[in-house]
Amino acid sequence: MFKNYIKTAFRSLLKNKGFTAINILGLALGLCACLLIVFYVVDELSYDRYNTKHDRIFRVNSDLKLGENRKDYAVIMPPLAKTLIAEFPYVEDAVRVKNAYTIHVKKGDVNMVESKAAFADPSLFHVFTLPMLTGDAKTALAEPNSLVLTESTAVRYFGKTDVVGTTMTLNENQNFKVTGVIKDLPKTSHFNFDFFLSMATWEDSRSNAWLRNDYTTYVLLKDKADAKKLSASLNPFLYKVSGDQMKKEIGMSYNDFEKSGSYFRMDLIPLTDIHLKSNRIGELGANSTIQYVYIFSAIAIFILLIACVNFMNLSTARSANRAREVGVRKVLGSSRSFLVAQFLSESIMVTFFATIIALVFAVGLLPQFNQLAGKEMAVTSSTLIWLIPAAVFTVLFVGALAGSYPAFFLSAFQPIEVLKGKLSAGFKGGGLRSFLVVFQFGISVFLIMGTLVIKNQLNFIQTTNLGFNRDQVLVIQNAYELNKETKTFKNELTQLPGVTSATMTDFLPVSVNRRSTSIFFKDATLDQKNSIFPQSWEVDTEWIPTLDIKMAAGRNFAADRVSDSSAIIINEAAAKFLGYKNALGQTLYKSNGGKTELSNTVKYEVIGVMKDFHYSSMHEKIEPLIIRLAENNGSISLRVNASNLPALMSQIKTKWAGFSPVQMNYSFMDQDFDASYRSEQRVGTIFIIFTTLAIIIACLGLFGLAAYAAEQRTKEIGIRKVLGASVSAIVGMLSKDFVKLVVISIVFAVPLAWYCMTLWLQDFAYRVNIQWWVVAVAGLAAIAIAVITVSFQSVKAALANPVKSLKNE
Amino acid sequence: MIKITNLEKFYRTEEVETIALNKLSMEVNTGEFVAIMGPSGCGKSTLLNILGMLDDPDAGSYVFNGTEIAHFNERKRADLRKHNIGFVFQSFNLIDELTVFENVELPLIYTGVSSADRVKRVEEVLDKMQIMHRRNHYPQQLSGGQQQRVAIARAVVNKPKLILADEPTGNLDSSNGNEVMELLTDLNEQGTTIIMVTHSEHDARYSHRIIRLLDGQTVMENIMV
Ligand SMILES: Nc1ncnc2c1ncn2[C@@H]1O[C@H](COP(=O)(O)OP(=O)(O)OP(=O)(O)O)[C@@H](O)[C@H]1O
Ligand SMILES: [Mg+2]
Repeated sequence: MFKNYIKTAFRSLLKNKGFTAINILGLALGLCACLLIVFYVVDELSYDRYNTKHDRIFRVNSDLKLGENRKDYAVIMPPLAKTLIAEFPYVEDAVRVKNAYTIHVKKGDVNMVESKAAFADPSLFHVFTLPMLTGDAKTALAEPNSLVLTESTAVRYFGKTDVVGTTMTLNENQNFKVTGVIKDLPKTSHFNFDFFLSMATWEDSRSNAWLRNDYTTYVLLKDKADAKKLSASLNPFLYKVSGDQMKKEIGMSYNDFEKSGSYFRMDLIPLTDIHLKSNRIGELGANSTIQYVYIFSAIAIFILLIACVNFMNLSTARSANRAREVGVRKVLGSSRSFLVAQFLSESIMVTFFATIIALVFAVGLLPQFNQLAGKEMAVTSSTLIWLIPAAVFTVLFVGALAGSYPAFFLSAFQPIEVLKGKLSAGFKGGGLRSFLVVFQFGISVFLIMGTLVIKNQLNFIQTTNLGFNRDQVLVIQNAYELNKETKTFKNELTQLPGVTSATMTDFLPVSVNRRSTSIFFKDATLDQKNSIFPQSWEVDTEWIPTLDIKMAAGRNFAADRVSDSSAIIINEAAAKFLGYKNALGQTLYKSNGGKTELSNTVKYEVIGVMKDFHYSSMHEKIEPLIIRLAENNGSISLRVNASNLPALMSQIKTKWAGFSPVQMNYSFMDQDFDASYRSEQRVGTIFIIFTTLAIIIACLGLFGLAAYAAEQRTKEIGIRKVLGASVSAIVGMLSKDFVKLVVISIVFAVPLAWYCMTLWLQDFAYRVNIQWWVVAVAGLAAIAIAVITVSFQSVKAALANPVKSLKNE
Repeated sequence: MIKITNLEKFYRTEEVETIALNKLSMEVNTGEFVAIMGPSGCGKSTLLNILGMLDDPDAGSYVFNGTEIAHFNERKRADLRKHNIGFVFQSFNLIDELTVFENVELPLIYTGVSSADRVKRVEEVLDKMQIMHRRNHYPQQLSGGQQQRVAIARAVVNKPKLILADEPTGNLDSSNGNEVMELLTDLNEQGTTIIMVTHSEHDARYSHRIIRLLDGQTVMENIMV
């Protein structure tokens, strides 16, 4: 019996090759796109879950409010980790990780620049699941000057992993003993380092200071311990252990501190939430946002829905054609259940083929998709664990869903009615089908609008005047290599023709660069209420001209004025925050940190106000910024104006080689800027690709439906032509019905898309407004796409010779 | 009104070439009522389709009202057709989704008659065909005879000079069939030229002249008295 179903189904599918092809192709395309997105989403959601104890690991976050200033940190005080273990019995362990930024590692005679290095407590291997290939996990990071490498780093330096006991020379003269080699960190780790140096090496880590936060700290709770309980105990605990230090250094108790409107609070974030939900100061790596997971999941569901709708539409449309077949079968004695089974096996078979094709393509396209999404996903045994059941479920569910309507609808017909041709009237009122077309095109319109808005916003970011000029600025990232000679090197570069100006500082207005904040008080009373907590950057006299920053008032620092060492320049945002009508000549007291008293501050005079410029991402408002003169040799930025850039570059490199054996590390500021929006760009591209796919799938469906409608109406078309209808009248008649549906879908989709995209834009402090033309373009595009698709079929039908269609009576 | 000379029509399928019309010549004058008869497959419908400008001949000449139209393109033919010719088919060919009224109205829409005029003229012919009371019914709700009356109403609503009928009584019982023949005779008496294909000698007797076809050629013409 079962074989009979399959055989009949197979023949019926082969008989209608066109429909079958459109059906399988549309569904396969949809499933494939959907699957790729599912890969992406699963990958995003799997961050840090490689840790076997992930549900017991939390990071301690802190929030600081100082007067009107608010900052969120991912870091906490140095002594907190060990104190928590000692004081809370249900805290099983804790580990601190501190970014070491760049280190130099000697390989042969060369110093390699390594940027993925961190200090970590020995408990790292107890808290996190970082399997050790060689070495002892219990003692690996216990001693000062010991380090642990990842597998690929060990191979890179030694060609093998069996290197425990070997000595490595870091930063010219520090000898470290390799005490372990671990497997490479999974890509799905929110931090990613090649070197772990023992925290004991880092002198500062023994600090007992409670009034600073600069150590990423993870706690591991005991089994079944309540994280909420710890979270609630953190602040009272802090007040208890550090109240004395607070009184002594700041001169007030935590109570008074809170009463003055300020606060310092700690909280826990589950390890597995960090990647998608945390974007704080001091993150160990760039995290993603849950928003993208939502957006992509929505697109995946949309595409799947569109594909399923197609499938249902085409199946039901085609099945009406088979009414006569059903009638004859019934007259000949076929039972209803046989017919139901037959229709269902057909649609399940189509789904099966489509799923197979989708799987093959999705796996085949994964490398390309990885590149697009900036990921390294692969199909592994753990993927198969969910993929295979999901595929089986898809086949059965989608197949049954799409097949159910024709199966039950048609098989219920009385054969006499079917044979009399009554069905065609019932079919034409296909309310379900109209609804499904509206639904499909609604989604398409939504996606088109979404794409346009995202494109607009990204374009806006690219072209907005940032307030400084990022073009033609070369940044030498590791200028600090030259130590005291950095300045000499910079001065020599200034002599080169093609270099307009040069500035030496690590503080640059591209968000990947260094940041630092200080507290400034408005007057000598040093009142919290009159304080500002701005970005506080160290620059030189060439900084403003090199970056081409405009002054709103006052002047730049001058090299020949000794008094400028106690001068500061603020941005307009700072002037506004401080409530200055005329900022020039005002004084500010910069706290040196620690105790709040006059002797512990430096007095500065405001000599200039810079026009606001975007120094962090467009997601954030321009915050107060104060710059002052100080020597900072972190990097050198050059404004170049060279017709022959390669020649200039090689001149600069030659000069550099005269100063240091280390390789010069450089980039162009506009590229750094673009890099900081890469995730948005990625999302934009992915969005556009999948939107296009969704529209193609919707068109396939419409194409099939139009073909079907034209076929259904061949007789009518023939009669109308005999009676004098022109080709254009027929095309119009056939297209009108579909266009009507598309217009309805626009009416529904536009407000929804408008609303959702407004929400998305809300995430940018600087954003475009949704323009009316976006709606017009999306709407017209949908109509145009529908008309073109349908026209293929209607023109064909309208051109056909009516004699033929009328003869088939 | 109609003069065809040496008209030829072939049908080519993969293997065989069928000669549907073989150097056929004939003439029909204005006001005539002509019946075409012949065995199945002899080319009657083919001839009627060409006369009705639905199809074009492969060779020969077709002069309609003094104009040679054998080489007209589809648009010109369609234009000429909708103003001059009405069709009646064996299987009625009414549009199931339209009411009686709307079916009859269609040719007027395509010739651009204003809507007020349309209502007047449709009601006029429905009255004449005695199916006015069925104006809002759908074809499925009518008997075969009623359906054919609607089809005839639709064929004449535009006041064509020529009506082409392909076995108009083929699907009807004899009393309904006679009714249809009476209607056609009436129309002919009012001046409409009629060419009708039929298998029934009885029906053929309503005409003035019978043209008998065999294998795409005229074999005989009978003048009725
Ligand atoms: N589209 C076509 N393709 C191939 N051959 C055709 C086609 N249409 C008609 N023929 C052939 O042309 C010949 C004439 O057909 P036609 O339909 O004119 O016959 P008829 O006289 O109307 O027959 P009937 O009385 O059965 O309606 C037949 O042999 C038929 O097989
Ligand atoms: Mg015939």
